[in-house]
Amino acid sequence: MSVVNYFIKNIDKIWRFTVNHFILIVLAICAALLIWVSVGIVIRNNEKLANGILGFGSLMMSIPSIALYGILVTVPGFGLSRRSAVFGLLLYSMLPIVRNVYIALNQVDKSILEAAKGMGMSSKQILFKVQLPLAIPVILAGVRVAVVMMVGIATLAVYIGERNLGSLIEQGIRRTHFDMIMVGAVLVSMMAIAIDLLMGKLENKLVSPGLVSEDKGDKVVS
Amino acid sequence: MEWNIVLETLSTQGMKLLKEHLILVGIALSIGIIIALPLSILLTRYPFKKWTKEILSFLNTAQGVPSLAVVAIFLPIMGVGFVPSVIALTLYGLLPIVRNTIAGINDVDDDILEAAKGMGMSNKMILRKVELPLALPVIIAGIQTSAVLTVGTATIAVLIGGGGLGNLIFTGISTFNPALILTGSIMTAAIAIILDQSIGFLQKRLSSHRG
Repeated sequence: MSVVNYFIKNIDKIWRFTVNHFILIVLAICAALLIWVSVGIVIRNNEKLANGILGFGSLMMSIPSIALYGILVTVPGFGLSRRSAVFGLLLYSMLPIVRNVYIALNQVDKSILEAAKGMGMSSKQILFKVQLPLAIPVILAGVRVAVVMMVGIATLAVYIGERNLGSLIEQGIRRTHFDMIMVGAVLVSMMAIAIDLLMGKLENKLVSPGLVSEDKGDKVVS
Repeated sequence: MEWNIVLETLSTQGMKLLKEHLILVGIALSIGIIIALPLSILLTRYPFKKWTKEILSFLNTAQGVPSLAVVAIFLPIMGVGFVPSVIALTLYGLLPIVRNTIAGINDVDDDILEAAKGMGMSNKMILRKVELPLALPVIIAGIQTSAVLTVGTATIAVLIGGGGLGNLIFTGISTFNPALILTGSIMTAAIAIILDQSIGFLQKRLSSHRG
């Protein structure tokens, strides 16, 4: 059980890495929610703009994560800093979140919108009181995908100066230290799975009970 | 920017790295498809079908394992080199294909299946002539995801001796040479985009005549 021994011996360091990892994810996900949900709302009625933005998002997805970090490091003002790490994660989370917000808002039944309009709601009220609540399950599905991805990609940020759970894996590879790799890999995976489960619970809380039996929109994310 | 270093590296190693990368991705992706398709079709058939939901949620969870971890775990077990890299990449690329194939086949409308059964089709015919064609777009979307993922993850394979374009990126990062990083990144991204687009094109060609 050398893995467990390693874990116990280095618990302080591992805890520091874990906290660092978590902070990076939280920073990135907060920024991503703020920016990408607004972008999704802005483009909801503009198909041309939406196609452009979603195309850009899928382009970002095609660039390998380590390469994206590599490119960001070379941009003046970013460099080897947390800013690069957060920004890289931000670009990566663009497609799942924006796409799901856009699709979810547009999926809302036209007759419901018309009924809301007939009741005298302004377009702002319609957005916040009708469209968004109805769209939440699909939006959250996108956010979940984004967060799980972020936890994994954040491990690669060690190559641009972050000190997180990826450090264990990276140093483990360099020194062919099996226990280190295992501890790092297991902890990162556990973090991803735990966050995913937590968000599933949150989803159950947030979604209005009348919508629960409906399709949660898992199909949108493929 | 050290463009002369880039030019020198490209002229001496460019083709070799590109070829390594393409071979790595090609083999991993092909093995992935060959394993994933029959496996997931089997998982939608009678004795296994009742576990579909559990299998799908397991696959979604398994996707949470970071690529670096997948590649790294193979280091102690199988050592360094080309074969461990291919195995790690294949394993990582399997998940999206299996997930989408299962989801695609199970999404086929029950009414349609019943109609097919009513027309006297055997189970095998239903699978080949109804379920698979209807699920094709979703299955191909899974292969697209897997392809993009594999191209990207293959850059990490260089850490366990897999070779490929990751070489340029990691050398660039460790010697702090932006030009080298950019060259490696752009080439990798280009492969991913071209592969993604051509699979998408293939899908359109394959399913267009079915209206």
